[in-house]
Amino acid sequence: MNRRKFIKNSSLASSLFFVPSFVKAFSNLITSETSYKRLVIIQLSGGNDGLNTLIPFRDDNYYKSRPIIGLKKEDIINLDNELGLHPSLLPLKKLYDYGYLSIINNVGYPNPNRSHFRATDIWQTASDSNQYLQSGWIGRYLDNFNQKTTAAIDINQSLSLALKGEFQNGMAVKNPNLLFRTTQDPYLKNVAKHYEDSHLSEHNLGYLYKTMINTESSAKYIFETSKTTSSNIEYPKNTLSKQLKTTAQFINSGLNTRVYYASLDGFDTHVNQLNTHKRLLKAYAESIDAFVKDLKSKNTFKDTLILTFSEFGRRVKQNRGNGTDHGSANTLFIIGENLKTPGIYNKMGSLEDLDDNGDIKFEIDFRTIYATVLKKWLNVNDDVVLNESFNHLEFI
Amino acid sequence: MKKEHIQHLYWRAGFGIDPKALQSLLNKNREDIVDMLFSESKSFNPLKINTPEFDTLTYKEFNKTNKIHRAYIEKSKLKVKELNHAWIHRVSNSKETLREKMTLFWANHFVCQDRYILYIQKFNNTLRYHALGNFKDFLKDISKEPSMIDYLDLKQNKKGRPNENFARELLELFTLGVGNYSEDDIKEIAKAFTGYNYDFEGDFEFRENQHNNDFKYVFGKAGHYDGDDIIDIILEQKQCARFICTKLYRYFVNTTINKTHIEDMTNVFFPNYNIETVLRYMFTQDWFYSPEHIGNKIKSPIDLIAGISHTVPVTFKETEQILGIQGMLGQLLLYPPNVAGWKGGKSWIDSNTLMIRLKLPSVLLSNAKIETKEKGDFYDAYKKYYENRKGDSIIKASANWEVFKSNYQHVEIEELGNYLLQCPINSGVQDYLNRLSKKSKQEYCVQVMSLPEYQMC
Repeated sequence: MNRRKFIKNSSLASSLFFVPSFVKAFSNLITSETSYKRLVIIQLSGGNDGLNTLIPFRDDNYYKSRPIIGLKKEDIINLDNELGLHPSLLPLKKLYDYGYLSIINNVGYPNPNRSHFRATDIWQTASDSNQYLQSGWIGRYLDNFNQKTTAAIDINQSLSLALKGEFQNGMAVKNPNLLFRTTQDPYLKNVAKHYEDSHLSEHNLGYLYKTMINTESSAKYIFETSKTTSSNIEYPKNTLSKQLKTTAQFINSGLNTRVYYASLDGFDTHVNQLNTHKRLLKAYAESIDAFVKDLKSKNTFKDTLILTFSEFGRRVKQNRGNGTDHGSANTLFIIGENLKTPGIYNKMGSLEDLDDNGDIKFEIDFRTIYATVLKKWLNVNDDVVLNESFNHLEFI
Repeated sequence: MKKEHIQHLYWRAGFGIDPKALQSLLNKNREDIVDMLFSESKSFNPLKINTPEFDTLTYKEFNKTNKIHRAYIEKSKLKVKELNHAWIHRVSNSKETLREKMTLFWANHFVCQDRYILYIQKFNNTLRYHALGNFKDFLKDISKEPSMIDYLDLKQNKKGRPNENFARELLELFTLGVGNYSEDDIKEIAKAFTGYNYDFEGDFEFRENQHNNDFKYVFGKAGHYDGDDIIDIILEQKQCARFICTKLYRYFVNTTINKTHIEDMTNVFFPNYNIETVLRYMFTQDWFYSPEHIGNKIKSPIDLIAGISHTVPVTFKETEQILGIQGMLGQLLLYPPNVAGWKGGKSWIDSNTLMIRLKLPSVLLSNAKIETKEKGDFYDAYKKYYENRKGDSIIKASANWEVFKSNYQHVEIEELGNYLLQCPINSGVQDYLNRLSKKSKQEYCVQVMSLPEYQMC
């Protein structure tokens, strides 16, 4: 008789039903006591057209620059009589009305780079425009303040640079069941079990074994913790929504993760962008909507902050293909229950006074946003993570 | 030469060596074997895929309409994937192993990416052609490659409207390294590289009218320099030789550097910049074979794939799958993460990549199954784990075990580890392996390749 069979047959089985809820109640207690703040980062990959996301519909320059792809006034969701949201973003209007949304304009950095790869690296490593860092800002957060691999999870097949530290990496988990199963390979488990850690820990091979053993336990922890909760919320069908559903499951099960990373691809809209952009923003907004509902249903929204960014914005003027080319400064969304400055945080930059490339000039360095989140949300010293001292903003 | 040393040399300068080839080298001395290594890589065979739709393409046809242009770009992107597949096949099968190993090294030094197949294929073969040649000629040719001109914005670098992207990377990543130049040097060098362009065929074109012919002041010198002059001037600095030798040392010897050995290499490399000479020097030094280096390097994903294939030849049937595997392992050839390339060493390893690395041999060679049967074992945990998993391995690849059988014919099953691994097996794990039933050489080969030890070379 194997162990599971024994438990099944045992008269103790009935009392075991109480254990999970007891354990859960206990872990909830811990959670609320330490007020576990979580950060969810969403990257809109490809360069989201910020100017067709939040639209200055009173500004004639907008329609002059975008005679074909400019959104019609009557379709735009009015926010403050100056700026309005793309019609696909209706769910965000609700968050805006509740005071759960803070919109920060003209976010960028000096000497912007307009290559996807480079610009993504700059955002993920929090480097200067001409500086090459090989560790990400979340990775350095792990390096300095948290030794656990499970403290930062990329809901993805592979780990983003953002989550790679000098010494400590976060973890990429797209499908917790699959990862768990891989680590349960009987042969690999036996190998890990028989490893004798005598004097090799500083050696490269020791590092591999350490990672292997750590992965096995992390995968087990994630799998077993996350399966204690389930969700009744219906999510739309798209890749981001799938990632956010997994994220909500992790958060709601009380996983000790502090930072989650997710992304939605396809924003590189050089050609005939209207429909593509509409579809993408819809996918984004509906996913966020389901995600927030899911968190609220388990009372975890209050401890969750969602930051949405894109590696760059797009050119103000539409191009000849009825799309837009790579730009620079962009609009960024912060979503959370206890925002200090809900609504529109700062005025959108002028569409007349553009930079040499015809892009909106940057006003707020993206690293001041990172600094603010690190300091005021994750409660750590941001200077150490960012290798420099940045101002703190007032959105949280 | 000692068995361990031959294996070390072949893992570092290539992708491992099989017992049959090893046997034939045992009574040769170090100089002779290193000589052989270079003579095997003497010839240059460009890597080329079939590109009928691009070979006779004219600029006019390529840009006929926006739609046609986009269709060609999409086709070209598929061809770049095909080139990746062909490259993997090349590193897994080539007899010019050192040339291929160095091509990989330079691809991570002169990092570049392009979606136009003919240009990136040309670039790739320029790396291969100069891999063991002269660094100065190499660098001058690289600066004139269409893919590089595009990748680092040299086309946008015009008289009166400089773009410093290439100038900065030339100093920071290609020649001197951070901290060995000033911002003014970059500005002056950008001026010298104005007028760089290429025609549709991919041949370099120097546009006199876009070239800034002013005086340039670089590293204490002044003149009406062009790009080639600048390369000559940079290479006059010993720091450039030192920078390249440091990178070679980290790639071939150890990520922890030894300044004395690097200085010795620098003295060999400078001032002629002959790549073969400095490599030959390195491979023949006693310190290259020091125990602290043997089996202490974490294989790159490509080393891992090519290494498996050198033992048991693997043929991938689907291009998307071989790309997918590289992606999951974190090194997708022709798609570098950024201009600085892959960091290497420990950074190859995270939770996911490690698990995929450990599973890879079984996925490629034994339908994702690793046997666990122990001597005199009746209860089989293995069977239980696999009983509900049919067709687990979706990777379409075929493994040629006949080659393995022939090359490992005279190796006892208990001895396999000594040929497949470069570092000693952890003692506890060794005890476990001793208990395995070892009924089949093939099965045990997969078991050994699935150890963390196999990640090292």
